[in-house]
Amino acid sequence: MNAPFHKFGAFGDEASLVVAFVIGIGFGFFLERAGFGSARKLTSQFYLDDLAVFKVMFTAIVTAMLGLFYLSWLGIVDLSLVDLVTTNLWPQIAGGLLLGFGFVIGGYCPGTSMVAAVTGRIDGLIFILGVTAGVWVFGESFPLLKGFYESGDFGKLTLPQAFHLPYGLVVLLVVLMALGGFMGAGWVERRFAPRPEEG
Amino acid sequence: MPTAAKRRFSTNQILGFAALGLGVLALAGNPYQGHSVHVDAKELATIVGTEVDHVTPKELADWIIRGATDYRLIDLRRPEEYAQYHIPTAEEVPIARLPDYPLGRNEKIVLYSEGGIHSAQAWFLLKAQRFAGAYILLGGLEGWNDEVLYPTPPLHPSPQEAAAFERTMQVSRFFGGAPRALTDSTARAANPTLALTPAPPVTRVPAPPVSPVARQKKAKKEGC
Repeated sequence: MNAPFHKFGAFGDEASLVVAFVIGIGFGFFLERAGFGSARKLTSQFYLDDLAVFKVMFTAIVTAMLGLFYLSWLGIVDLSLVDLVTTNLWPQIAGGLLLGFGFVIGGYCPGTSMVAAVTGRIDGLIFILGVTAGVWVFGESFPLLKGFYESGDFGKLTLPQAFHLPYGLVVLLVVLMALGGFMGAGWVERRFAPRPEEG
Repeated sequence: MPTAAKRRFSTNQILGFAALGLGVLALAGNPYQGHSVHVDAKELATIVGTEVDHVTPKELADWIIRGATDYRLIDLRRPEEYAQYHIPTAEEVPIARLPDYPLGRNEKIVLYSEGGIHSAQAWFLLKAQRFAGAYILLGGLEGWNDEVLYPTPPLHPSPQEAAAFERTMQVSRFFGGAPRALTDSTARAANPTLALTPAPPVTRVPAPPVSPVARQKKAKKEGC
C-alpha cells in the first residue's frame, strides 16, 4: 500500500494510515464528480443509456495498470509489495452476482453509497444500513459458509500467470479491450439513449 | 467546447492514443526485477548488529498459541526432516526452492533450520531481495526444542522464576513437549554431584520421556 513512497521509508505505518485517509477522500471526491453519488446515474448503466460507470471504472483500471507497470519497470515501485487477493473462483463469481443484484436493486455499490450518504442522500444512508446488516449476517453465518468461501482457491493469481503470457502483452490487450469497450459503449449509448418524449 | 471542435482530435481520442502507445511500448518491458539482487551492506550489518532480525522460540510459541496469522513460518530443512517433525504452522520450503517460493515482501517471514546456518543464509537471500520482514528463529529447531518443547527448570528458582516456569511448562505441554517439573530441579540441587557438574551444552536439555520422533530430532545435529 502507498507505493512508491512507503518502500523508501518516506513514512511509517501510522503515517501511511493518514495517506490512506487522504487517498480515500480523493477517491470519494472523484466518484462524486463523476456523478456517482446519484442512484439514477448509476442505474442508467443497466438501462444502457449512460455507461459512465463502465467508462470511469475502466479508465481507472487502465490508468492504474499503466502507472504500476511503468513505475515498476523504472524501478520506482516494487510490484511484489502490492498485495493481491487470492483468487477463489466460485465464491467470487457468486459474490460478484450478489453484488450486482444489490447494485441493481439498491442503486449503489458500497463505495458510491458512502458518497451518496455524505452528500446528504437518504437512499445512500439506507443502503449503508443494508450493507452493515449484510456484513453482520455474513460474519455470523461464516462458520456455515467457510467451506464455500475457501473453495476454488487458485492462490494469488495474475492474468500473465493464468494465461502464460508476457506481462507487457497482457498490458496491451487490456488497453485494447478498454479502447474497444469505450467505442462500444459510445455506440450502445447512442442506440439506447432515451427518446425526448420519455424525458 | 469550441476549442475542442477546432482541434483535430478530442481529448478522449488523445488519451486513447496515449494509452494505446503506452500499451504497445509495454510489450518491451517487464515490471518484475527477477532474481538479481541489490545489497546494502551497511544496512544489513546494522540489522545484524542490533539483533532486530530475531524471533525467540517463546515469541513464536506465543504467536502460534494466539492463532496469529500475520506471519509465515518457513522450514528450510530437507523434506524428510520436515515430514518427521516441524513446528506447527510451518511451511516446507527447502532452501534451494526459496527464491521461487511465493512470499510477499510485505509479509513477516520467520525462517528456521536445524541450527542457525541455513536460516541465516536464507535470511541474507531474502534481505538482499528487499524482503523487509525476514526474521530468524533464534537457535533454530534446537532452540525450539530447548526453550519450548523441553525447557530446563531453573536450579534455585525464586518465586517469580517458579511462576514463570509454570507458564513455560504450560506452553511446552501445548506443543506436546515434556518439560521437566520444578521438583526435579530441587531434587537435582539437593544432589551435590549433579549440581556441581556443569552440563555440557549438548546435554543441557534433559532427556525426558519423549516420543521416539522427538528424540531422533534432538539427536540430529549435523547440518543445520
